[in-house]
Amino acid sequence: MSIFEYNGSALVAMVGKNCFAIASDRRLGVQLQTIATDFQRIHKIHDRLFLGLSGLGTDTQTLYQRLVFRHKLYQLREERDMKPETFASLVSAILYEKRFGPYFCQPVIAGLSDEDKPFICTMDSIGAKELAKDFVVAGTAGESLYGACEAMFKPDMEPEELFETISQALLSSVDRDCLSGWGGHVYVV
Amino acid sequence: MSLADPEVVGFCFRMMKLDFSGLESKAPHFDASNELVGGDGALSAAPSSFQLPITADFDGFQKNAIQMVKPAKGTTTLAFIFKEGVMVAADSRASMGGYISSQSVKKIIEINPYMLGTMAGGAADCQFWHRNLGIKCRLHELANKRRISVTGASKLLANILYSYRGMGLSVGTMIAGWDETGPGLYYVDSEGGRLKGQRFSVGSGSPYAYGVLDSGYRYDMTIEEAAELARRSIYHATFRDAASGGVASVYYVGPNGWKKLSGDDVGELHYHYYPAISSTTEQEMVEAPAA
Amino acid sequence: MENSGGFSFDLCKRNGWLVEKGIVKPPSFTKTGTTIVGLVFQDGVILGADTRATAGSIVCDKNCEKIHYMAPNIYCCGAGTAADTEAVTDMVSSQLQLHRYHTGRESRVITALTLLKKHLFGYQGYVSAALVLGGVDCTGPHLHTIYPHGSTDTLPFATMGSGSLAAMSVFESKYKEGLTRDEGIKIVTEAICAGIFNDLGSGSNVDVCVLTKGHKEYLRNNLMPNPRTYVSAKGYSFSKKTEVLMTKVTPLKERVEVIEAGDAMEE
Repeated sequence: MSIFEYNGSALVAMVGKNCFAIASDRRLGVQLQTIATDFQRIHKIHDRLFLGLSGLGTDTQTLYQRLVFRHKLYQLREERDMKPETFASLVSAILYEKRFGPYFCQPVIAGLSDEDKPFICTMDSIGAKELAKDFVVAGTAGESLYGACEAMFKPDMEPEELFETISQALLSSVDRDCLSGWGGHVYVV
Repeated sequence: MSLADPEVVGFCFRMMKLDFSGLESKAPHFDASNELVGGDGALSAAPSSFQLPITADFDGFQKNAIQMVKPAKGTTTLAFIFKEGVMVAADSRASMGGYISSQSVKKIIEINPYMLGTMAGGAADCQFWHRNLGIKCRLHELANKRRISVTGASKLLANILYSYRGMGLSVGTMIAGWDETGPGLYYVDSEGGRLKGQRFSVGSGSPYAYGVLDSGYRYDMTIEEAAELARRSIYHATFRDAASGGVASVYYVGPNGWKKLSGDDVGELHYHYYPAISSTTEQEMVEAPAA
Repeated sequence: MENSGGFSFDLCKRNGWLVEKGIVKPPSFTKTGTTIVGLVFQDGVILGADTRATAGSIVCDKNCEKIHYMAPNIYCCGAGTAADTEAVTDMVSSQLQLHRYHTGRESRVITALTLLKKHLFGYQGYVSAALVLGGVDCTGPHLHTIYPHGSTDTLPFATMGSGSLAAMSVFESKYKEGLTRDEGIKIVTEAICAGIFNDLGSGSNVDVCVLTKGHKEYLRNNLMPNPRTYVSAKGYSFSKKTEVLMTKVTPLKERVEVIEAGDAMEE
């Protein structure tokens, strides 16, 4: 079993018309044993920027704390919030720093830029950025999510339709994955 | 048969077949060449002996081969005897690692109208040997004009599994039924074990199922109470065990044979046991505009 | 903890222990199983790349960028582990920028080459980036390949990545000295297409970058031979609406623009 599958997770983010949605499952397990069904994998960095962390629970929490710390320092110094693109580069740099001993964690970043232009992005565990115009996925249900999103996604969706699409994609994917599920969180911004 | 024994190894190389003749009862109803079954063994209850692979390292080959066709492992099955008969229940998920390959597997195998088998471990192994057991039981019935006892049936299965011990079969099963002596329940596994008991649970979710089952069990339950206990045990196992899930099906075996009582999606059972507190849309306080 | 610079090895011991204990396999990273090429033509250098990024057998990006910016007159194609090619080219391009600030002159390809190979050699192949570096500077057009261990080649035409053999077959049969710009782009596109169609690690579209004296032309998705053809015209409709258990609406805070004015500290 891969270390990425130790706790199990499903993460997906999608772009709509001047909006984005990010969704995750709620399960935390130790291999096949379900420990909790109210686990938070999506975190708010600021009003228009959300961070989803899939992979090993302990690393996702550590990484989240480090990123929040760095973001707060940035806020103090610059008196403004980070742009999603900047934040993605920060995450990438922090992950690549541990190129030879990585955090077992695949992040998904979703945010709105100043002109309300949506931005989504994912990375591997050592910070190789993958910018996408439509959707990004991560976690143990990633492969199923790719399939579901490829079929269900259409460009320029309004928030209501985006919510329905991302929820259905998430639910149908976790139904094929032992290691994720037990409900989901969806954020539409 | 031990392959460490040089004589036996030599034998294997020449024959490349396992000889089961020693296991077959010479009684007419078991004999393949018996006229009852039709001469050339077309309907034989005895499985024709398997071809063995031509290899120097038979054990190693088996290990690798099993890894390649590693069957669905995660399961929760349970069965218990109570006042009115036997209750048998199981989930319906088949998984390959983290991937769910099916949510609608029949893990309770209907051997005959009075006997059920449960499936845990290798799906193919369980299905094949239960069907084989079904044939044997029917032949026993035809030869002796009475149904086979649960004790007897479970022993037939245990003997077969014991003969293949260490060769990679993966079976964890319960034989539950009703015979002349009343309800019967046996646990049989591919290691050759056979246990008689009141309560059993098998599979990766069994620790969770045992927890619920043991705490809620009483001998003098009604059928409804017993069915609910079985369903609840399966549900709680599917909740904690990621490799179990799908549908919780419950069977009851009584004096008149088995009957399927229910098959509920565990997702819906979840809301049944833990009703969702639906709340109205929350609106976070908006900051008052600066005066 | 923060900002010490360089790699951090503090999780290596833990991760090694996890692998040793056998609960886990070492993780795999996003690779660019790739076809990247470059050639020298009469006025400069042309670089080419496919746009597929893979993680194992999954295509995780169908249109990624593999031709990286190094300097206004230098670009670099990357193959290997995606994070490594990205990081190593970014690092060297910032060093080149600083060097330009320092000297006030155009960067030279040889400088980029030396910085890249120094980094890669230092990590003894563990930073797995295979690069095709091309550019035009005051000494003329240059094309180099750099291997993950730090060795380099200087060639009139070069290919790298998993599709390098397919691409090289095109170059070997069609390359000649003194190609025109259009001929060069055609051969580069053809070579990348050979990689896209014959190597499973490469795919999707063709990116091309033409570098000439004092001029560059980045032709993103110069050719798109694999358009998506299976989109359902009807779209996707859902039979059942998602069950929503809780909704929480959080209004976004108004963005406040701070305009600096004199006498900010009146009180």
